[in-house]
Amino acid sequence: MSHLARLAATAPAPVFAAIGPGLAPAVERLLARPGLRRAATPREAALLLVAGAIPDRAAGALDRVHDQVPHPRRTVRWDGTGDIERALLDARADLLGGGESAPDRRPDAPPAPWRGKGDHGQGGEGMMGGTPYGRPMAMTGADIRDGLQLDRYTARVGPFAPMLPPGLVLEVTLQGDVIVAVEVQAPAFDQPAEADAPDLVAARMLRLLGLPGAADRVAAGGRPRAAGLLRAVPPGLVPVGGRDARDRLAGCLAGRSQEIEPPDLAALLPGLEWAEAMLALASLPPSSLAQEALAA
Amino acid sequence: MTTLVILSLWTALAAFAASRALPEAASTAPQAAPFLGGGTPDTHAWSRYHFRPYTMTLVFVAFEMEMMFMYPWAVVFVSEGPKALAEMGMFLAILSVGLLYGWREGVFAWE
Amino acid sequence: MIGALLLLAVAATLAAGTLLAAWLDRRLAGGGGIASLAADWLAGPVRTEAPDDMNRRLAPAWYLALAAAGLCVVPFAPGHAAIDSPAGIAIWGACEALTVVVVFLHGWSPNAPFPLIGAYRYAAIGLPAMLPSMFVLIAAALPAESLSLVAIVDSQRGAWNVLRQPLGLPLFAVAILSLTLRGPMDYADGADIAGGTSAEEAGPARALWQAARLAMLVSACAMAATLFLGGPLGPVLPGPVWLWLKTAGMMAAILALGARIARPPPARMLGLVWTVLLPLSFLHLLISGVIAL
Repeated sequence: MSHLARLAATAPAPVFAAIGPGLAPAVERLLARPGLRRAATPREAALLLVAGAIPDRAAGALDRVHDQVPHPRRTVRWDGTGDIERALLDARADLLGGGESAPDRRPDAPPAPWRGKGDHGQGGEGMMGGTPYGRPMAMTGADIRDGLQLDRYTARVGPFAPMLPPGLVLEVTLQGDVIVAVEVQAPAFDQPAEADAPDLVAARMLRLLGLPGAADRVAAGGRPRAAGLLRAVPPGLVPVGGRDARDRLAGCLAGRSQEIEPPDLAALLPGLEWAEAMLALASLPPSSLAQEALAA
Repeated sequence: MTTLVILSLWTALAAFAASRALPEAASTAPQAAPFLGGGTPDTHAWSRYHFRPYTMTLVFVAFEMEMMFMYPWAVVFVSEGPKALAEMGMFLAILSVGLLYGWREGVFAWE
Repeated sequence: MIGALLLLAVAATLAAGTLLAAWLDRRLAGGGGIASLAADWLAGPVRTEAPDDMNRRLAPAWYLALAAAGLCVVPFAPGHAAIDSPAGIAIWGACEALTVVVVFLHGWSPNAPFPLIGAYRYAAIGLPAMLPSMFVLIAAALPAESLSLVAIVDSQRGAWNVLRQPLGLPLFAVAILSLTLRGPMDYADGADIAGGTSAEEAGPARALWQAARLAMLVSACAMAATLFLGGPLGPVLPGPVWLWLKTAGMMAAILALGARIARPPPARMLGLVWTVLLPLSFLHLLISGVIAL
């Protein structure tokens, strides 16, 4: 082991969590422990924590996330029992000691046949068209705010997006960073009632407000010890039942649990800037975005 | 001259360090795909991006121009005395009218 | 001779300061710390789909170079700076402005959605957040009757600017948070965009970018110590030691501050910058001007 590897071994283990049904609150509390670091993206992680039984519909997505973790990497599975922190730290130590890295799970093939033209694959005719590097370029569409014809970017986000409840897959169309269309492709996984606990909802919002330390303190039952929490949330953001996101944060910080009817995301989110939309989603209890709720 | 030499020195040094430290990476197709929490994009991310606060940038340019006048003004401020303060006050007051107008028109919102 | 010594001091301060900043970051702001930098350095690199390779590799280098260039105008002893320019604050101002470009390139280069959102978001907030800091720099030049930082230090022999220009340090703190992508001004790397401009960065590139952020924190805090805390002025101890102590104190204060203030969504912050921070910096210039006369 080199000096650098020994130094690296003293760092908290960076973990990206792919959370399945039933284990969201347990994982959220787990990742607040000092020996582990919650990776914001698989690129930051060395370990992929697969918590719970991932349903078949999310298997392809799990493989995609797995392949995005840089080498050397390892997957650790957890069914909610046993000393998972020990298992994660052992896997981490093994990787730093030269342990084998997990190979790709998906085939090494570009997303589409490359039909680009030119030396640099710059596409087709003129500025538009073609599929440089196997992927088409974004095309223009009408804007919902000021009518400028600018590019629309469409992508499916989830089911393991760290800013969304686990399981939720949204097909979003963005113009810039403003959402112009949303379709719910899959609901959030079912979680135990603890996932709706006010401290966990508040912790998710605090994380989006740039306060990971305060979020961990709140999830551990403490005070946030940070300024400007309520004022940071824009007033009137996604009101449900007469209460906006700021009211919901205030309620959660006061320890009041909330009953919320399943919101119609396809109607509520378009027109919002991405950060506001994610903040609004985090302010809703995950059960309101789960299977039965959206089916009802 | 010294300034130029030192600034170029740092830039060249840093660029050299980065070219040595950051290897020519080659990732497999699944590793290279953009992260979307397991989701997939339809297109490349680069696009004619709608920069929402573009109206704000016009007001910004006005203030940046004003900075150019303020540099020489700052040097002679004490020797010129209250007259200099009054002059810059007037200048800023005129700019502030533009600021108020922009605020009323909502250019500081994510249009 | 003395010039070479000063350049050496800049390089050593930047290197040691970056390590100290990493340690303070872990202690005060829940950051990764030195060990996490090492861990990132050892991880494998990732090349995204059809990236802008040159800018991807140069962005962290330029960020580092801007931190080093900015630190060069800071006097390490009364009367001595590596770049003793009559337009010192203009050079620092240029470093601030170019930081916006560098952060944008860092987010642009991977050709991925979250980094791109972070890049444009930072451009929208980083630009106007620079205006208050420009007013602060100019206000500091008023009593010195010069744009040179050596002269600005000399002008504080009677009283430090932190007393004569009470609004200056808080306004400059906002600029530091914005320059170093921290806390309430970190619009490049938000959690809602999975780490923003760094969302697709792995391995040595991530380590270098994080190190460059910390290096910029060292430079910006040294600049704050020079503008408001008398820089190398102080009794008994030699000048550089005073500068280091004041810089370390500023770094701790900025890190603790950044971890304790919520970050509103960008649209809300844009309004705050223009309607609160900018009028405040007008007021700051007025107060500083009246006191200087």
